[in-house]
Amino acid sequence: MTSSAWTRTTALSLLAATALTASATAGKAADITLRALMEDVPETRIIEALLPEFTAKTGIKVEFEKIGYPDMHDKLVTQLVSAESAYNLLEVDFLWAGEFPAANWLVDLKPMAEASKFDTAPFVPSMLDLLGRTAEKMPLVPMYNYSMGLIYRTDLISDEKLKTAYKQETGKELALPQTLEDYVAVSKFMKAKAGVEGSAMQGQRGDPNAMEFSNYLFSAGGHYLGNDRSVVLDSPEARKALDLYIDNIKNGAQQGALSATLDDTLRLMCSGKAFSMVTYWWMLPQINDAKACPEAADKVALSVMPGGHGESGGWGWGIPANVPEDQQKAAWTFIQWVQSKEISVKRALQGHAPVRTDVFSDPEVLAKYPFYKTAEQVVASGQSFPIFTYSAEYENLLGTQISTAASGGTSTDEAIKASAAGLKELMSR
Amino acid sequence: MKASGRFDREWRTGWAFAAPGLALLAVVMGFPLGYSVLMAMSSLTLLKPSLLPFVGFDNFAVIFGDRLFWGAVLLTIRYSAVTVIGEFLVGLAIALMLKRAVRTRPLYFGLLTIPMAMSPISVALVWKMLLQPNLGIVNHLLETAGLPRVDWLGSADLALSTMVFVDIWQQTSFVVLLLAAGLAALPKEPYEAAEVDGATALQQFFYITLPMLRPVAGIAIIIQLINEFRTYDLPYVLTRGGPGTSTEVLSYFAYRKAFLGLSLNQGAAAAFFLLLIILLLTVVFFIRLEKADAVTPH
Repeated sequence: MTSSAWTRTTALSLLAATALTASATAGKAADITLRALMEDVPETRIIEALLPEFTAKTGIKVEFEKIGYPDMHDKLVTQLVSAESAYNLLEVDFLWAGEFPAANWLVDLKPMAEASKFDTAPFVPSMLDLLGRTAEKMPLVPMYNYSMGLIYRTDLISDEKLKTAYKQETGKELALPQTLEDYVAVSKFMKAKAGVEGSAMQGQRGDPNAMEFSNYLFSAGGHYLGNDRSVVLDSPEARKALDLYIDNIKNGAQQGALSATLDDTLRLMCSGKAFSMVTYWWMLPQINDAKACPEAADKVALSVMPGGHGESGGWGWGIPANVPEDQQKAAWTFIQWVQSKEISVKRALQGHAPVRTDVFSDPEVLAKYPFYKTAEQVVASGQSFPIFTYSAEYENLLGTQISTAASGGTSTDEAIKASAAGLKELMSR
Repeated sequence: MKASGRFDREWRTGWAFAAPGLALLAVVMGFPLGYSVLMAMSSLTLLKPSLLPFVGFDNFAVIFGDRLFWGAVLLTIRYSAVTVIGEFLVGLAIALMLKRAVRTRPLYFGLLTIPMAMSPISVALVWKMLLQPNLGIVNHLLETAGLPRVDWLGSADLALSTMVFVDIWQQTSFVVLLLAAGLAALPKEPYEAAEVDGATALQQFFYITLPMLRPVAGIAIIIQLINEFRTYDLPYVLTRGGPGTSTEVLSYFAYRKAFLGLSLNQGAAAAFFLLLIILLLTVVFFIRLEKADAVTPH
């Protein structure tokens, strides 16, 4: 063989090898299916509708397994402690943002972000912090926020007969409440006089009532933790918040509030049988949907929680440590795509709760949803539940105390003291 | 010598036949049980998945020191006792009625197996919707009949009773089938003799049916007692142990420790305690049953 023939053969072999490798890689991407356990909420369905676009672009298939929130933690944990997780893409609640990294269940996304020049600057900083970002690590990329505010019926608050009756009864004008006391007073009044429940409340022990109570706590000026992360829950503000919470459960809320979850409150509000609900701000378009909620659509509005602060929360995307590297890479490809400006705007136009400031201020989004301005205020004014390794356990502990106090099994004072002591104990564990 | 040799052979053959089954039992029952004991005596948590170091009975000491644990134990005993009594009484009544309904019995048996064939999670979800206080059909029917709506699961006073009712609704079918089989197997002669002696139907029931049904009834009760002590699905779906801790049974307590508190070791300790209660109950019950059998004329 001459030297030129040898060169040609070598070049052809290399070309063939490269082509084979490329086709094998392409084949691999096409073979990868990302599986994620997702909460069965509108946000998930919005993303799901866009998935064919991602698959067409990358060849990577994505499957969502949708379940209710209460079952998610256990299902994820059992997968994350196993040899290989069945889920290779994770939707992680901020309440687990302390626990999952502490257990080394997640891949640090910071090196991936740096290598792929993924820009985190447009993300709302508090959302990144909420999900455990530090100078050294980024366990999660924000997915959507679920800050909480007040959704209320505009037709009832502006009803002339009700206004007159409220004025006669309290000497005050019936208007959007500005304080927690006012809110509970209006809620009780609506229940008594407007023929609806004053407040659709999610008082089931655990995540539902812990989240709901947090709004009351922040609204009354209370906090779980001080600036130095010491426990400051045992305070007059916390007692006031719990007293008002119990008062509203007993005298303003629907029957069965102590066993109700988010789904129950949404159904009640949707049926037009409630004046208000303290809930996630992105519930507004769901209730405003004339097809789904004809009794309440176009009669509801969103406001920041009376008192100025509500509970702030959010979900993030994560990648499990116990899946093969090619699946981790595919998951990162998906995260970059789904949180890009282009896809985030597409999602926002369908009702997505943004985590990027440039989406909140996008003209197209604001033209379709003017209330996103209020939503941004809700997000900006939100305060966080304590995030640490045992946040999920603390939710249950706090929820038990609130539920026990609301059902008459303990006093407000004892419930707050026990909740504060429990928080201290769990944080020191 | 000859007899002894045959005994040895039979003994060896017996063990040879039993060995595969015993080996299988050791793998599928012995290993998980042994591992749960190790877990209960270890420092294993979801954050630190290692059995070492062993901590002896420390995890038991921690849960025994928890007021909520003893609350859950007492609640479980109360819940199981009430549910099993309810299932037995309702089951016996239905079984006695079915004894007379000879022609339609297959139809009733078919209908009765429906709740039994449903998974407890599905049953709980269905009843949760039916009992929904504002939009559920049960309260709607009550209102239509001019009665007030009831807060079935949101009231600390009523939630446990509601859970007991749902449990009885699902589990009674099994008791009916067992008792109906027991009733069908009873001999006719004692009844014929009682008729001749002029015994009333009530006397026949208390002096013939019940004593002769005792072994089957005992089996039904012990199986249901074990089932009820393990109840987890209903509180998980219906109430999450609330309001307050009014429906937090021991298995839910163990789940909470293991998966919310991340302490698999303490969850295992609570579960092991539950197992001990069930074992103790089973042994006591069988001893009493044996004694009763020994004194009951057949």
